[in-house]
Parts: sequence; C-alpha cells; structure tokens
Amino acid sequence: MTAATSSEAPTTGVIGRRDGVERGARRWRRDYASMLRWHLASLRIWMATLMSVQVLSGVGFVLGISLFFDHIPQAVALFVATGVPVINLLMVGLILGPQLVADQKVTGSYDYLRSMPVSRSVTAAAWYTVCLIGGVPAMVVSLAVAQLRYDLALHVSLMIVPAVLLSCFTATMLGYALGHGVGNPMATRLITQMLIFVVFGYTPIIFPITQMPGWLGALNWWFPFRHMAVVVRAALTPGPHPGVASAYVILAVWAAARSALAGRALGRRP
Amino acid sequence: MAVSVDPLGAATSAAARPDDWTFRVEDLTKRFGALAANHAITLRVEPGEVYGLLGPNGAGKSTLVKQTIGLLRPTSGRITLGPFDLVADPDAARQLCSYLPQAQIPIDAFRVREAIELAGRIRGAGAKDVGQRAAALMDALDIGAWRNELGQRLSGGVKRLVGFAMATVCPGRVVILDEPTNDVDPLRRRLLWDEIRSLGGQGCAVLLVTHNVLEAEKSVDRLAVIADGRLVAEGTPSSLKAADRSQLRLQVMLAPGRETPSMPPWAGPALRVGHNLVTRIAEADASEGIAWAAALIDRGVAEEYALGATSLEDAYIRLTSHLSSDDGGDEL
Repeated sequence: MTAATSSEAPTTGVIGRRDGVERGARRWRRDYASMLRWHLASLRIWMATLMSVQVLSGVGFVLGISLFFDHIPQAVALFVATGVPVINLLMVGLILGPQLVADQKVTGSYDYLRSMPVSRSVTAAAWYTVCLIGGVPAMVVSLAVAQLRYDLALHVSLMIVPAVLLSCFTATMLGYALGHGVGNPMATRLITQMLIFVVFGYTPIIFPITQMPGWLGALNWWFPFRHMAVVVRAALTPGPHPGVASAYVILAVWAAARSALAGRALGRRP
Repeated sequence: MAVSVDPLGAATSAAARPDDWTFRVEDLTKRFGALAANHAITLRVEPGEVYGLLGPNGAGKSTLVKQTIGLLRPTSGRITLGPFDLVADPDAARQLCSYLPQAQIPIDAFRVREAIELAGRIRGAGAKDVGQRAAALMDALDIGAWRNELGQRLSGGVKRLVGFAMATVCPGRVVILDEPTNDVDPLRRRLLWDEIRSLGGQGCAVLLVTHNVLEAEKSVDRLAVIADGRLVAEGTPSSLKAADRSQLRLQVMLAPGRETPSMPPWAGPALRVGHNLVTRIAEADASEGIAWAAALIDRGVAEEYALGATSLEDAYIRLTSHLSSDDGGDEL
C-alpha cells in the first residue's frame, strides 16, 4: 500500500477509508456535484421562501414604480424593468451568502464546513451556482411581468448570458469575501444591512446616474453595482450602449480581486 | 487529470515509510500572542489505535485538533500522517482526517440518510459503497427509525449520532472525534463506543477528545492528558493509574452551603467541585476515612460519602486538578 495520489478515490477493503490524497479535474467535478447537493439541501427549508421573496420583491419593484405616475413613461418603465434583474442577481450572493456564513460562525458549524475535504474553489463554485439558481428565475419572472404590464421594447441579446454570469459572480464573490473575510459575525450582519441601503438608494441600478449628484455618480464608477446594471441593461435593450466594454472590464477586475480575497480568507490559518 | 504529488518532498520525516500511517505530532507549539495554547506537544497514534486526548476546558485540545485538520497553523513543530506533512498540505489533512466537531453539524434541512450518504460522497466514496455503509451505520447506532427524518426534528443525541455517522461513513486514516457521546442516551452510547472500537479495528487511528474519563478508560488503548497547553501524561489507562495503586478514592457530598472541612493529615490532595469533595487515601487508612466521613455526616457538614477503588479519573484529578465531569475546581 502506498500513499500515491490518483484520480480515483483511493479506498481499501475497509468501506470508503481513504488511503491517499486525490487531486485533479475529475475530483473537482465530483466534489462540485456533491457540494452543490450539499448547499441546495442545506437551503431546502428556505429555498421556496427565498425564491418567493426574490420574485415578490422583483415584481413589486416593477409594478410599484407605476404608482408614482398617472401614465408611466416607457423610458422609465424600461429603465426600472432592466434594473430589477440586477437586484435579483445581487441579493442571494451579496446579502444572504455572508449572513449564512455569519450564522455558521455563531452556531459553531463553520469549522466543520471548513474541514470538509473539498477545495475552496469547489465550495465557491457550488455556492455561485446556488446564487444563480436563486437569482435567475426571479429575474426572468420580473422581466416577464414588466413586459406584460408595460409592453416594453425589450431586445434580449445573447450577451445576456455573460452579463448575468459575470454580474452574479461578482456579487457572489463580494459576499463571499465579506462573509469569510470579516471575522465578527455581527459586523458581517451590519455590513450586509448597510449594503442593502447602498444598493437600493445610492447606486444607479433602477434609476439613471444622471439623477444622482455628480460626485456620487463619479464615486459609483469605482464600484461594481453600476457596471452590473450597464451590462445587463445593454443585453436587454437595443443599442447603442456606450461604456459596456469598460463595465465588463471593471466587473472582471472586481470579481478577480474579490475571488482572491475570499480564497485567502477561506484558506487563512491564523 | 490526476496530479502526482510527493507528499513530503525533501522534508520527509525519518520515521515515515510508504506503508507507515502513524499519526505524529512533534514538538508542536501554538501561541496566540503571549499565550501558549499548545506547548511542545509530542505524541503519536498508530493505525488501529484509539487514543484519548483528555483535559479540562481551555487545556489546548481543540487547538491541537484544529492544527491537525488545517484550520490553524502551528507556531512551530510538525504534524504528519505517514508520508504526508499535514501542516504543509492542509488539503491532504482534510482528505485524510475525518472530523466530528464538538458543536452539532448543521443538518437541520437534511434527512438523516441523505446527510450520511452525502457526507460519504463528499469524502470520495462511491454511491453504492456509501449507501451500504450508511445503512450499516444507522443499524449499528440504532438510528434507522429516523432515516427519513429531517435533522431539525431530531433530538440532540440522535443528531450527535448522525454527525458521528457522517464523520465515519467514509473514514479518513485519522478519525478525530470531539466529545462524540455528548447528549447520547446510555444505550446508544454503548453502541457508539462499539463503533469507535471498530474504527480502530479497521485500521483507522482514532483521536478521541473527551472530558469523560470514565468512558474513555474503557475504550481507549492509550491516552494523553493535556493541561495548560502541555502534555502532562501519556500512556495506557493502566499505566496512568499505576501511581494510584494501593490508594482509595474518598468522595464526600457536602451539605449545601457548608464550608470545606479541614482535611486530615493522612488524606491526599483534595479537590472540591460544587458540593463534591474528592481525595485519595491509602488502603491502610480506609477505616479512618470512613470514620472521618461518617463524622462529617453526623455533624451535618456532609450528606453522604463513597469509598472505592481509584480509577483513571483519580489520575486525571491528580494531573489536572479537575474533575472530568466539571469545567473547574478548587485544589485544596
């Protein structure tokens, strides 16, 4: 018997006992499937509620905005309808994710989850998939309701795929870095509460940047939320869309930086 | 694509052979600022051995465990498992060590069978193997009646047993069990100890962290006592009890609100925890001990007493100044 590594789970006559260390793409794929099942099962009790809240909040925004107008201008309806999907994509990864991690730290289960024999990238990828599952259906419903209610001139291009994937990934990694990087669970909760207000009130997602004070608009250029709205809106409406390419670049930089930060926080051994 | 890895590279321990799966902790020190949570700890656990890690709260047991599974980095020293350096390769540590933490595993939303099988899948076992092993474990621990129940509906004891099954359904070369019997009823506790012993029989090195000295005495092959971050004793239960041979344990339950009575000169060091006053006396002083305890009862200072053979618990008290069932005590 040797300690050589292999692509198979090394076991002996003893059922399942591991006698070596397994690395490689095959192990990654298998662990990803297992961790996705783990995440989905652990949210089973709340998943239906979470999806309902996501749909209701998205639809509520879409329909509620018309209450401000006797006759809502099409441009306003289109702007809100194409901004709400970004909110849907943000909520699970950016808000719920770090709050779950904070709960795990309080209940003492965080160490167990960190001791699981899967790579950090597997855990993160599986959680990202959960965030997509929690965000995309609500996004689709919000858009469908907006289309039915306002008869919008939506123009959905294939760019919706990278726009959604990158926006959700950036939000997920922001939340991931927050949850794992901030040691105090109470601080994590407070920051996520604050982020909700920041996203709704101080970022040009569901209202145009021209409505904001100039300095706040300029400040938003450095943060990812505005750029998420730019890329998603560009994929849902006819062009031209100035600034889309730079928005993708900035989002990619944010996603990469936060992934690295989250990876460091997860692998940290004080 | 599989990647071949030389587990230890140039830093291979002299004792490590390809077929050697001994778990070794060598001169391990972990400091948090000025506090040494572990100080120069050295121990080894052979495959098939059930090794108890005993010590009061704050002694440094969990710190040692967390360094083993890659959650903390030692300040100095080495932790190896056979040819693998677990400090340098935390991924290997997580794959080769199974871990049952003291806190409950978060399984509220899982069905029992699902949680055990999924834990096995995450540890790399095939679906068929893990299904059979999960079923066998549920039967062995007598928790089959809850196999389709959600975790949130389970009692603390059953949840603990499910956690044990999750940790051992596909065991690592080292199985670390932190207080596995917490909340478990006496009947299933016996079943659990049988399973722990059987892990040793399967060639796993079992590292058992516990306060429960009396239970550990019956189940461990060897044990270490840790106090204030230092390993203060190591050996078989019999060897640790050897110093207490020809001694008896005198335990007096004091009446509520009564001060600790002055100890007679023939009594050994005494420890009071709550209303419990425990000391050791020589077998030759048994009659004096009985008379002294009876006099305490007559004066209303004590309510009852017990005189019996010393156990591992007395060695533990001698080494740590703690009763195993309590978090602290006052050495008198």
